[in-house]
Amino acid sequence: MPNSPSPTGNAERNAILKLEGVCVALAASRKTMVRNISFSVRPGEIFGLAGESGSGKTLLMRTIFGLHDDAFVEKGRMTFKNTEFSSSEHRRRVRKLLGREIGFVPQDPFSSLNPTMRIGRQIREALYLGKGISPKSAEAGKTTLELLKEVGISEPATAVGQYPDQFSGGMRQRIVIAIALSQEPSILVADEPTTALDAYTQRRIINLIIERSRNRNLAVILISHNLELLRKNVDRIAVMYGGQLFNILASDEIGSSASHPYTEALFKCIPRKDMNLADIQSIPGEPLSAGYGAAGCAFSSRCGLRRDICDTSEIPVNASLEQEFDACLVRAGRRP
Amino acid sequence: MPGQSGSATMNELAEPLLQVKGLSKSFAKRYLVHQSKFSLQNISLELYDGEVVGILGESGSGKSTLANIITRLTPFGEGQIFYRGKEIRSHSASERFEYKSEVQIVFQDPYGSLNPRSTIRNSIKEGLRLHQPQLSRPEMDERVDGLLSSVGLASENSNKYPHEFSGGQRQRIAIARAIAVQPTLLICDEPLSSLDVSIQAQIIELFASLIEEFRLTMLFISHDINVVRLLCDRVYVMSDGRIVEFGKTSEILNNPGNDYTIKLIDSVY
Repeated sequence: MPNSPSPTGNAERNAILKLEGVCVALAASRKTMVRNISFSVRPGEIFGLAGESGSGKTLLMRTIFGLHDDAFVEKGRMTFKNTEFSSSEHRRRVRKLLGREIGFVPQDPFSSLNPTMRIGRQIREALYLGKGISPKSAEAGKTTLELLKEVGISEPATAVGQYPDQFSGGMRQRIVIAIALSQEPSILVADEPTTALDAYTQRRIINLIIERSRNRNLAVILISHNLELLRKNVDRIAVMYGGQLFNILASDEIGSSASHPYTEALFKCIPRKDMNLADIQSIPGEPLSAGYGAAGCAFSSRCGLRRDICDTSEIPVNASLEQEFDACLVRAGRRP
Repeated sequence: MPGQSGSATMNELAEPLLQVKGLSKSFAKRYLVHQSKFSLQNISLELYDGEVVGILGESGSGKSTLANIITRLTPFGEGQIFYRGKEIRSHSASERFEYKSEVQIVFQDPYGSLNPRSTIRNSIKEGLRLHQPQLSRPEMDERVDGLLSSVGLASENSNKYPHEFSGGQRQRIAIARAIAVQPTLLICDEPLSSLDVSIQAQIIELFASLIEEFRLTMLFISHDINVVRLLCDRVYVMSDGRIVEFGKTSEILNNPGNDYTIKLIDSVY
């Protein structure tokens, strides 16, 4: 279990978000889905969370930020801006910060705006709820226009009078981002924000998030299944599989000795510009879902490096919140 | 039109297997929906024997409508489609039946494209029963086992129902079903986009081996430039119901001439 600071404690003390040994379980079955997740995010850092569907990345994020009704933090500790959240009161307390200190951009821009309310009113409502600015005041009107302009809506004055269905998916996602930014959060959590969008729109939305983050010193957690997208955009990437945290590495280190065998294998699956058909190497077998209960590494049955130790020992956990981390049992054995 | 390289030499060799000429399709205008997004305008394309041709475009560009029209799942307005030189709307009932056996499709969503109440053996056999009734029962079963192993599934799985399989396995089954009747033309409508990254790579490898093994002529519809780059000999780029550029995949993707294609290529990671 995680405990007191380690030699690398410096970066860790500055962290805006710390997860230490967090386990997430389902409310109905009390089954542990995500185990022993430990990492920290620095202020202003763009942090990627990668994994295939079922890896538990979305479950983890939605649960620790109080968005999941059917799951709870079973064990472990979250620290957000020096406030500690113990597992018992976690959800109730974190909900108070959600939408204020913590901005959330969901995957589907088509269902995250109120279809019967004009855009302007939705943003003014957020400003009122978060900052107490009266919706009818001139200040609310002015801030709304500024926010829309900031996220690249070309005619904010017209946009405020329109309904969500009059916008394309990309424009709607911009509006959702504007609402998230209206609270001046210190961390923005974007859960596959571009999966429902076209490649061109995807790139523009990701660029928008990155640019806003750099300008406002806003920490971002970008959740994506696309390792290539993360590699090109974020500072550090955490890779999850079967509810376990496998790897944390700087985004330019994919393919180097810092990458876990799964990170490497996943990266070889993605067709990229410079690849031939022969370069594509699929991973045999099926991805495992979160909630892997047995001892050992969840990836062992698909892994080329598998040894006996992979099925018998528990995988390492990032207890000391290192900036970089590799949970491979085989490689750990080889290291000095 | 830009980028016609490649097709001239092929024209001299043979007549196209499939030729679409001036195809247009419009849907009734819906409330607040921009009409042009949902229609095809003056689509012309050619497909030769043994070629893998990509159709590249974003969502709403009309790619799937085109696939549905070619497979005769959707009627069309103006234009003509020739299959082996014969216009498909002038097909007699028996010719139409034969056309439907020779042109098979793999859909995007492997969850919705298999009959949930039928074992996968029966799903695969259904096409065989219809189009190759001369086969005896043991021959059909043997064929099913062979198909399953071609797509990388063990034959002992064949008496299971679709819900017992994962998305990637279901897509393999859908592919096995499509190639069961030995089609001349296989149309794949975004066959990868509902699959996980590691499974996408498996299916790409499967397509590559099937193209080699069965010498499939394929129309591969995708929004993913990098997948089209890997699999397709030639590519047509679609935007807003029109074909904006076409030619050899390597030439179009390395040296795009159209603004839309350039934008599309630039936005890929």
